Amino acid sequence: MFEALFISLQLALATTVILLLIALPLAYVLAFKAFPGRTAMEVVVSLPLVLPPTVLGYFVLVMIAPDSVLGGAWQSIFDRSLAFSFSGMVFASVLYSLPFAVQPMQQALRAIPVNWLEMAQTQGMSAKQTLLKVMLPAAKGGVLVAAALSFAHTMGEFGVVLMVGGSIPGETKVASIALFDMVEMQQSDQAWMLALILLAVSFVMLSLVHAINQRGFDVGAGR
Amino acid sequence: MNHIQITTRMGMLELQVDARFSNAIIIISGENGAGKTTLLRCLAGLEQAEGHLSVGGEIWLDSIAGFSLPPQQRRPGCVWSDTALLPWLSIEKNIVLGTDSVETEWLAELADMFEVKPLLQRKPYMLSTGEAQRVALVRAIYKRPSLLLLDEPFSAQAPAIRRRLRLGLKSLQGRLQIPALMVSHDVEDACMLADQHWHMRQGRLLHEIAQAKTGQEMLA
Repeated sequence: MFEALFISLQLALATTVILLLIALPLAYVLAFKAFPGRTAMEVVVSLPLVLPPTVLGYFVLVMIAPDSVLGGAWQSIFDRSLAFSFSGMVFASVLYSLPFAVQPMQQALRAIPVNWLEMAQTQGMSAKQTLLKVMLPAAKGGVLVAAALSFAHTMGEFGVVLMVGGSIPGETKVASIALFDMVEMQQSDQAWMLALILLAVSFVMLSLVHAINQRGFDVGAGR
Repeated sequence: MNHIQITTRMGMLELQVDARFSNAIIIISGENGAGKTTLLRCLAGLEQAEGHLSVGGEIWLDSIAGFSLPPQQRRPGCVWSDTALLPWLSIEKNIVLGTDSVETEWLAELADMFEVKPLLQRKPYMLSTGEAQRVALVRAIYKRPSLLLLDEPFSAQAPAIRRRLRLGLKSLQGRLQIPALMVSHDVEDACMLADQHWHMRQGRLLHEIAQAKTGQEMLA
């Protein structure tokens, strides 16, 4: 049980770190840049919100199969399959939780008053300085919410990780799948405990999100 | 000599300004919607405009050559009606934002002159509107800009302090030898500060309208 929980935590952590790196530039582009295909990009980013996890899992599986471009390249570099591996699960989880990371950051960036950005310009700050000294501190709440939601959402995955990971004990069998197995095998004591732990993790993460949103609002009001 | 010769269109407003001015304080007055703030924003580079603009011997805009210096490089000292102080930074950090190193003496002198010294270590939310406005003024001047753009910079100040602020602004403008364009409806501002006075109406400078009229009359 703890093995599965540990894999879940590792997966959630890896996914969150990678997501923050990918989602920030994506959120920046979606918040501030106008270009053809912007709406299409927004739709693609939001797709995992409504797509059945098994559908996403199936496409990812096809994408990373050893006879695919990506899967084949991975195989030749690392000499092992990307499908049914921990790395494959991370890849799928990043796609699956993308909207949970992009949307809070995008909203936070959009909420930055234009006056602040104009002030940064007339103060002679470069784009990089403006990003580091004005935009990121102003959108800090959004970045933290994105991290907390990505982490919690990855912890709660089932369909995608089952399709892509294949539930290999000790490698790709995460807590939510372990819980399913326990119920099937009628190990109700263990199932109870694992379910409670997962509930607690989600509860803590969402409490964090709400606390940040509350504070973020106060900062926005200047307090 | 500095030269503005710009046109731009903003909704109903058609701004058309052609003026030369020395490194002096110019008070701009006019009714709401006359284009005063738009003019300042064009000079800051925050609005697009057509024409020509040179300040302190440097060309900022030359639309024939397709050149417009971005606001980051114009670096005008601005005070707008919204002070745009960043809430997570102390007042001192807000003032020196965008500059490389803190010039302690210069900062202390300005803080003293514009009466913000006791505020330096505070956060913006602890300030009154008037205090925040004085901080914005210090921030505008601290970076030694080559142009000051002040949109009613004393509007939130009590009369007694206004007088002291005017004296400070006048002496600093003289020392820095930079032009300052200041929107104001206060007669005392005009009396005590103005080296030149522009009155705007419907996007034009009034004395230009007068000149244009005399010209037309002479031609007729």
